[in-house]
Parts: sequence; C-alpha cells; structure tokens
Amino acid sequence: MLLVVAHSRPARRDLRNVCRAHDDCVVRRFGRAALLSWTEFAAFQALRLHEKHGLDVQLERVVPFEPADVPDHVQEAADTYEDRDHPSTPYARFASGRDLPAPDEMRGADL
Amino acid sequence: MRLTVGGTTYEGRVVDLRGRAVDGATLAAAVRGDRCLPAVASADPPPVYDYCGHVHAAMGLRTRTALAAAGRSRGYETPHDDAIDELREQLASSDPDAPSLPSVRDDVSRSTLADQREAAATQRGRLEARRTLGVDTDAAEQAVREATRTLSERETERVAAEESRRRRRELARAYRDRLAERRQLADALANRQRDARECLVNRLHDRYVAALEAVPGSRPTDPFEASPVTAALAVLRIARTEAPVVVGTDCFADPTAAADVLDAPIIRC
Repeated sequence: MLLVVAHSRPARRDLRNVCRAHDDCVVRRFGRAALLSWTEFAAFQALRLHEKHGLDVQLERVVPFEPADVPDHVQEAADTYEDRDHPSTPYARFASGRDLPAPDEMRGADL
Repeated sequence: MRLTVGGTTYEGRVVDLRGRAVDGATLAAAVRGDRCLPAVASADPPPVYDYCGHVHAAMGLRTRTALAAAGRSRGYETPHDDAIDELREQLASSDPDAPSLPSVRDDVSRSTLADQREAAATQRGRLEARRTLGVDTDAAEQAVREATRTLSERETERVAAEESRRRRRELARAYRDRLAERRQLADALANRQRDARECLVNRLHDRYVAALEAVPGSRPTDPFEASPVTAALAVLRIARTEAPVVVGTDCFADPTAAADVLDAPIIRC
C-alpha cells in the first residue's frame, strides 16, 4: 500500500479532496494521512500531491506485517510480557533474569 | 501632523478633509506608512491603529484584540510576555523552507548487476581457457578488462544511487520534524498570546466601560457588544494616540470634539 502523509495545511486539504473524490483507491483515512491501494491510479494521485506540495507530502510504501515476520524471540518477548502478573513491571526489569531480549538489544537490531 | 493632499498642505492637530473627496482607507494606510501618498508626517502609529486607525460606519472590530492592543500602546505588560518573546524567537530561528534534495540518480537494478558479474566471470573463463590451450590471449584479456571495468562502474553507480536515496530521505525527515516542531511552537505562541490578551482585557475592563460612557453611541448591557464604531472610539480613548486617527463618521459634532474625546490628532474625511 501507499502511505500519504500531509505535513502542511494546504497539503492536508488537497489530500482530503483526493480521498473524497477517489475513495475507491483509499484503503484507510487518518487525520492527515491516508493509506492508498497499491495501484497505478493511487500512485498517480499520490504523485500529483507530491508534485504540488513537494516535501510537505510524504510518500511511503507500506507492506503487510504479520507476527510471524519477526524473529521468534521478539514474538516470545511480547507474548510473555503481555502475560505478566504485575501490570506495573517495566519491560526492562521483566526481561532481566529471564531468557528474554533486553530493550536495547532489540533497539539495535534491524528487523 | 502635516498632511499634503493634492498640492495643499494641512498642519495642526485637527485636519478637516470633508469636501476634498479623499478616501479614508487611503489616508489610514498613509498614516500607517503602507502608502507614501498622500504624504503624512506624524508620529508612528502603534499596532492598535491596525484595528481602530480608521473609524467608519462599515468597519468591523475584534474588540478584545483591539483593547489589548490599546493596553500595549500604553506600555502595559503581562506575565506571559517573556514566554511570548521566547516562542517568537524560537519560531524565527527555525528554518521554514524546504531543503533542496540531491537529485535522483538512476538506480542500477540487482539483476543488471548480476548480469554484469556473470559477464565478467564468463570473460575470465574464456581467458583461462585460452591460456590453458596456449593460444593468443590479447583479445580475451581486453574483454576481461572491459567487463571488469563496466562491472565496477555499475557497482559505483548503485552505491551512489543508494547514498542519494538515503540522503534524500534523511533531509525530508529532518524537514518534516522541523515542520512539526514549528506547528507546536505556533500553537504554544497562539495560546500564550490569547492568555496575554485576556490579561490585558481584564485589566482594562473598567476603563473600557468608562470610555464607552464618554464616547458617542449607544451602550449595550454587555460592553463587548457595542457597535464597532462605538467600541473603536472607546478603545482609542484608552489607547495612547499620538498618530492621527482617521474619522469617517459624523458621530461627533465636529472634528475638534473628536480630538478632545479621543485625545488624539484627527483627520476628518
């Protein structure tokens, strides 16, 4: 999918207009962003906005994500932590002493 | 003040231009210094003149904003002023312009690069084979050199394209961070300005009510519901008014009465 983010008021207005006029290519609308379908027509609309507003329009490619797309230890860390007994335990403390990755370890590792 | 209209020069605290067919808005712009003709020599008007510098029947007025500006013209300060200055400074020092990005370079696809690697390997294989056979290798060596050179050129291009792409993303992200920061600053500034305005309006409330009593015009129960002309006159009575006020209504008996009530130089037109 295409993510279009408007960073200025005029860009936001035009994004809203595009979404209204072509909701067939809109997957989801947010305040000043929209997910468009991965089609030439959606790209055409996104590029029009980019052409008009330059860097005030941010375009990103968004790919689907599933839990299985991450390494097992990350998945396990998330599951175990969400299953903790004391909701107030911060993750860093929770992970130390268990066989779970430290927050900084995960921060430093690209997916 | 000294004012020249169509070759005639007027001097004094009150200038009556009725019958001269001069546009009030034009005169007010000349007083503010937004126009150089007609020539007006007078004190510089404070910002309150942006709201009340030209009093006429069709005017609108944001009374509270104008009243706060009147307070400012008297040098009133508020506890928010330091924060306002600081926020203004921060806004002024952050660059609102979009950066120019390095140009987009044609990317070299992975498959092109793989093809080129394979071509180079093939040429090296040919050269090896010819050496083993003991036949002439000049042409084959030449081919290996060319293939290797092309491969290294493509690799360089690919690296440059990646670098340029990365750089463009970095610059764009920094710019958008800056935009977000500017939006926050602008919001904070607007909030502080609103607080300051409220502060000034509260402080001037009683004087404003008293001023409404002193100027011509009807007085509604809520002083902030007064008609724009009446409210503007009350605001002007409170404000420090060393620059001439352009008066285009006949609510005063004569221009001198206006000058007395508003304690201001008057251009009546």
